[in-house]
Amino acid sequence: MATYTSSDKQSIAGEFFDALGTFYRKRWLLGYFIHRQVTRSYRGSYLGIVWAILGPLVWVFFLALIFSNVLDIKNRTVQGDPTLNFGLFLYCGLLPFLTFSEALNKGINSIRSNSGLVQKVVFPLEILPFTNAIASMVDKVFGFGALLIMLLLFGRTLHPTLLYMPVIVVLQVIFILGLTYIMAVLGTFLPDVAEVMRPVIRGMFFVTPILWPAGLLPENLSWIENYNPLAYLVNAYRDLILNGTLPGALSTLYFTLFSVALFIFGFALFVRLGPKFADHL
Amino acid sequence: MTPAISLKGIGKKYRIASSKSLHLRELLSFGKKQHTQDFWALQDIDLEVEQGTTLGILGRNGAGKSTMLQIISGVLQPTTGTVTVNGRLTAIFGLGSGFNPEFTGRENAMMNGLILGMDRHEMLERFEEIEAFADIGDFMDRPVKTYSSGMKSRLGFAVAVNVNPDILVIDEALSAGDASFKKRALQRMYDLRDSGTTVLFVSHSMGMINRFCTDAVLLHRGHMISRGTPEEVVGQYRDVLEKSQNKEPDKNTERDRQLDYTIAHEDEDDMPDLPKGKRGQRRPTGEAEILDVELLDEDQHQAHRVPAGSNLTVRVRARYAQAVEESAFGAVLRDRAGTLLFANSTDMEESSLGPREKNEVVTVDFTFGVPYHPGEYGVEATVSGDAGRLLGRTGEAITFAVVAEELAAGAVSQPPSRVEVHDSEELGPAT
Repeated sequence: MATYTSSDKQSIAGEFFDALGTFYRKRWLLGYFIHRQVTRSYRGSYLGIVWAILGPLVWVFFLALIFSNVLDIKNRTVQGDPTLNFGLFLYCGLLPFLTFSEALNKGINSIRSNSGLVQKVVFPLEILPFTNAIASMVDKVFGFGALLIMLLLFGRTLHPTLLYMPVIVVLQVIFILGLTYIMAVLGTFLPDVAEVMRPVIRGMFFVTPILWPAGLLPENLSWIENYNPLAYLVNAYRDLILNGTLPGALSTLYFTLFSVALFIFGFALFVRLGPKFADHL
Repeated sequence: MTPAISLKGIGKKYRIASSKSLHLRELLSFGKKQHTQDFWALQDIDLEVEQGTTLGILGRNGAGKSTMLQIISGVLQPTTGTVTVNGRLTAIFGLGSGFNPEFTGRENAMMNGLILGMDRHEMLERFEEIEAFADIGDFMDRPVKTYSSGMKSRLGFAVAVNVNPDILVIDEALSAGDASFKKRALQRMYDLRDSGTTVLFVSHSMGMINRFCTDAVLLHRGHMISRGTPEEVVGQYRDVLEKSQNKEPDKNTERDRQLDYTIAHEDEDDMPDLPKGKRGQRRPTGEAEILDVELLDEDQHQAHRVPAGSNLTVRVRARYAQAVEESAFGAVLRDRAGTLLFANSTDMEESSLGPREKNEVVTVDFTFGVPYHPGEYGVEATVSGDAGRLLGRTGEAITFAVVAEELAAGAVSQPPSRVEVHDSEELGPAT
């Protein structure tokens, strides 16, 4: 590490695994970065970190309240579960969607918003998108906690399938990381991508079964759901948390393969082009 | 010995366009229209820097100095050529640039250290030192947004120099901060230089380059046009500056010379080694040479950190270059702001030194109680002759740190000071 020569051209695989190793070598730096990112928005408030759980709790409480007592809209016709509150159903789908949209938005800016570090310090850049992705996941873990609390308050039993959630979260992290790295590269070289992604993210919200239940689409449009990795995540969340069923094995396999491929592609792209970032800021 | 830094055929090309959309227009015209220009910020740079060198980099604004440092530190990739760096390199391009205003100084210092490549446990070990150097008191645990800009740079510099790099790259980072901080920063840089750190240093201050560097290069429009001793290169730099001024008519007026003088001497007041304002008259005659100054604690061990309230002995050893009728040794203690805290000399204590032969070596011990306030202090020693003539003095202040320790109740006054004169023959091994 002490000695380097700029002309040491490594193979892509070599660079790839080298960069993966940085995450271990720089684990403390990574830890502080993530901690900083997670606590940043609560800094300076009187309640501090309490807001991490209180914020989502208030939100999910209002969602649940609006869709039960105030408007008396329930979910009985579409989901076949007369006690399911639509607010909770909605929030359960929102959680994976929010990690997706944050991954895109923050990923695009992850290099630009840290231009001070990129231009002024010799710094393992791959840490920056990683931090964004993990911090947004950690944030959603609090949201997940809030959801469980509300489920209990509404008198629902917690399904044993919840124990499978870590598996889905790991797959989701790989998926989110892949997206974030690709977005970081695109956003750095092409600032216009940020403008393009805004409508794309909004569109994704409507073509993913978040507001509407899975399987609602007619036969000729079902590809919208079937080839949408985000739809897989939303459905898996609802299966494990609300319905107590397991997501399909085949679709899980497809999603895993897709996420891993996305990550390998995104990370390799990032590692290869990272040294050029400083010129483009 | 392998060079610390080796550059071969380094070039850095930029494409210049006034806006990004011009790039697109050029692409869409399929080469018919040229909206961008190639600009070589650096070209054909070959440079080897031996370990332990202090290299000053001179050049006008836009000459490519910062680009060169950024390429050396690995932030930028060169368009052509290869860079080889041996050793841990720390680059300071602007102090405290990575600080987050919402977090405390302590948290930011830790982050900054980790960013600069330290391990967490290394950082924890050095925290006390960093805190003492930054000297911002309780602010260490307050959010950085409450800091003054001076405090920010102090903390940033404290972290950067405590990384103990093999190679230190500084891009005009010292222009921030007040005089007292500047002085300490310089002192620390001298320490680093003297401990064998390779230092690369950009400055527009020719005086700084002259005094601080062992070697210098001059960049002009992306080319390295000379390399040599600081004096030579500074001379050439003056020529370059003059050429660029030639078009202006009022050259060599009285005012102009004054300005030149001011520019050349602008930072001399901040030098750590000399008292302010007296530089001209107080040059030593060289009739005596101070060989070394040792700091000894109460157990007669060499010490650079002493507990508050303890006694410190300053052992000054000097040789007379000529026979002298009457002379006196003096020692002064200053805090880091340069305020005189304590002064003593052999004639104040009425210990006469008497006439001394040429080449005779004399040792004098000054013992005094160190201040109670923790921090860094500097000691200077002088040998003066009759009528206050200065025969010799220390080149730069010897620094030591006072560290806080629990005080015995009522221990507020400083113990009396003492002066002892030894001839060097009498000086046995420290007991």
